[in-house]
Amino acid sequence: MTRSSLVPIILAILAIAVSLMLGRYGAYLTHVVAIAAIGAMSLNLLNGWCGQINFAQAALLGVGAYTAGNCGNAGWDVFSLLAAGIASALAAVLIGLPALRLRGLYFAIATLAAQFIFEYLFKFAEPITHGVSGLLIQPMKLLGRVIDTDQGYAVLAICLLLLTWLFMTWIRRTDLGRAFLVVRENEVVARGMGINVPQTKMWAFLISGFFAGIAGGLMGFTDRLAHPEAFGMGLSVDYIAMIIVGGLGSLPGSLLGAAFVSLLPEAIQRFGEAFNMADQLSAFREMAFGLLIILFLIFEPRGLSAILGKTNVQRMMARFARRPTNPVRDQAKNQPKWRSVE
Amino acid sequence: MTFYLQLAVAGIAVGSVYALIAIGIVLIYKCSGVVNFAQGAFVMLGAYFTYALTRLGLAPVAAVLGAMLAMALVGMLTERLVLRPMMKAPVVAIMAVTLGILILTRAVCLAIWGPDQIAFPKLFPDGAVNIFDVFITYNYLAAALLSVCLSLAFLAFYQFTAIGLKQRCAADNTRAALAIGIHTGNQNSLAWSMSAALAGLGGTLLATLNGLSLGLSDIGLVAFPVIVLGGLTSLSGAVVAGLLLGVLQAFTDGILTPWFETFLRAYTRIYSAGALQQVVPYMILVFVLLVRPQGIFGRRGTERL
Repeated sequence: MTRSSLVPIILAILAIAVSLMLGRYGAYLTHVVAIAAIGAMSLNLLNGWCGQINFAQAALLGVGAYTAGNCGNAGWDVFSLLAAGIASALAAVLIGLPALRLRGLYFAIATLAAQFIFEYLFKFAEPITHGVSGLLIQPMKLLGRVIDTDQGYAVLAICLLLLTWLFMTWIRRTDLGRAFLVVRENEVVARGMGINVPQTKMWAFLISGFFAGIAGGLMGFTDRLAHPEAFGMGLSVDYIAMIIVGGLGSLPGSLLGAAFVSLLPEAIQRFGEAFNMADQLSAFREMAFGLLIILFLIFEPRGLSAILGKTNVQRMMARFARRPTNPVRDQAKNQPKWRSVE
Repeated sequence: MTFYLQLAVAGIAVGSVYALIAIGIVLIYKCSGVVNFAQGAFVMLGAYFTYALTRLGLAPVAAVLGAMLAMALVGMLTERLVLRPMMKAPVVAIMAVTLGILILTRAVCLAIWGPDQIAFPKLFPDGAVNIFDVFITYNYLAAALLSVCLSLAFLAFYQFTAIGLKQRCAADNTRAALAIGIHTGNQNSLAWSMSAALAGLGGTLLATLNGLSLGLSDIGLVAFPVIVLGGLTSLSGAVVAGLLLGVLQAFTDGILTPWFETFLRAYTRIYSAGALQQVVPYMILVFVLLVRPQGIFGRRGTERL
């Protein structure tokens, strides 16, 4: 076990302890955030590291939820989550195929199309998805034991989030992880370095899809319902907002962004109830969300993780993990706000 | 035969409005390189402005013109306040910020006008003309004529006037345009305000056909298959592709969907084909991107491998 994996493990243990103490509502918020964070990390690998913009994240989550729901109802136990991951990974490869021919903007529009086609399929394939009425999902079974409390799901989601985080930090350090970054920066250079660009992209889609499927499966089990409306374009936008608000390419950023985007509506809900403005609430919630995305992108484009970096928290965490200071990384912090495009 | 003609007429009317909206997106993309997902928000906002102005007691013509002016202002403000500070940002950040504008505008409209469908005031008289047994209501006729004429007028403006020439310079090569003394920032603002005004008119016309609700903003995303089909950088391509897609949607709705549903009911347990006409554009989009990414009229792009 490396030192840098110590921090997430300790955080996970703390999160489990806190969520068990906070009662049902606290546990509910914890698993919502943890599941969103798994999905955000999956998108971060694809978009933040490999540079492939994906507007079909909600479709991948949906494939995961429907697969997990059907397998779980058929009594597949833990394997239903695994099946969800595999199904979404296959769907992600399918969505990624145009990436072999298209780049940047054109590919982004292709994923937009994929999102709408999947949304249609969720409604259309009634024998599997139960169409517009949605698929009812039984509570998840873990090795024969039924999980039916929010606390149970909170613990499960945090454990899976921890595994995701450890896997992501590991893959970032492998040759494949570095190849992702080169492909993001410049595909011609990547080819010149002997990187197989199509293969690298396909791996990014495969891995990203797998984790999106896990997150989607967990969503299905916690909501007890997979509904086509729930996996619409709006959800895809939420996930893109998460990784950008958190900070593109940063794992702690994905977690922070997921927490921010999922807790903001809850916070506004509480705020509105306190001041008796319930009827204008949904409009107000959306307004705050849109405004925050815009303001964030204009004033702090590197996201929440950069704000944290400015304070001493990250340095303290680094000292805690006893990482040696890294001149390259420190230099990177002093760079201008935006990397020049091109 | 009449049935097919009737479908074609409906398709052309809706398609010409698509063209109007798609022109706006292409204009912004050519000039500032921004893919504007907020075009749908402009469409919706334009329709609501027209509605609000007629409620104030303005004549329909004045209301439509007023709404277009207001939309031009909104477009310019969007460019100045949001897009300009982000000029050098990565593509995904700019896409996300336009999505943010879309969400914000929808929420503002929701807060002011509520979630329900609103009866749109009559801009054109009731009734229909009858040409060879094909009935065309004045609404459809006006929508088609207005948007086709305006699209053509705009293309002529872009091609033949001094301002249009400046626009084309700024879009073609920003540095060269700066070097010969064109204020490219102002040209960007102009492009945004023109495209917002066109979108506002498109929204008003769509509202006369389908009624006014928040769902109008979804049309902004339907415009993407249109611009890809036409080639992302071609204004005339957007017009042709808009008409084509409108007709195709109408035919899908009228012919393909019933045929497909009888097939499904005979051979599978699926009962309904759902909103097939809404996904057909996207299926075509994926196909076009894979086979001919530069679209029908676009130049061979640099975005391809």
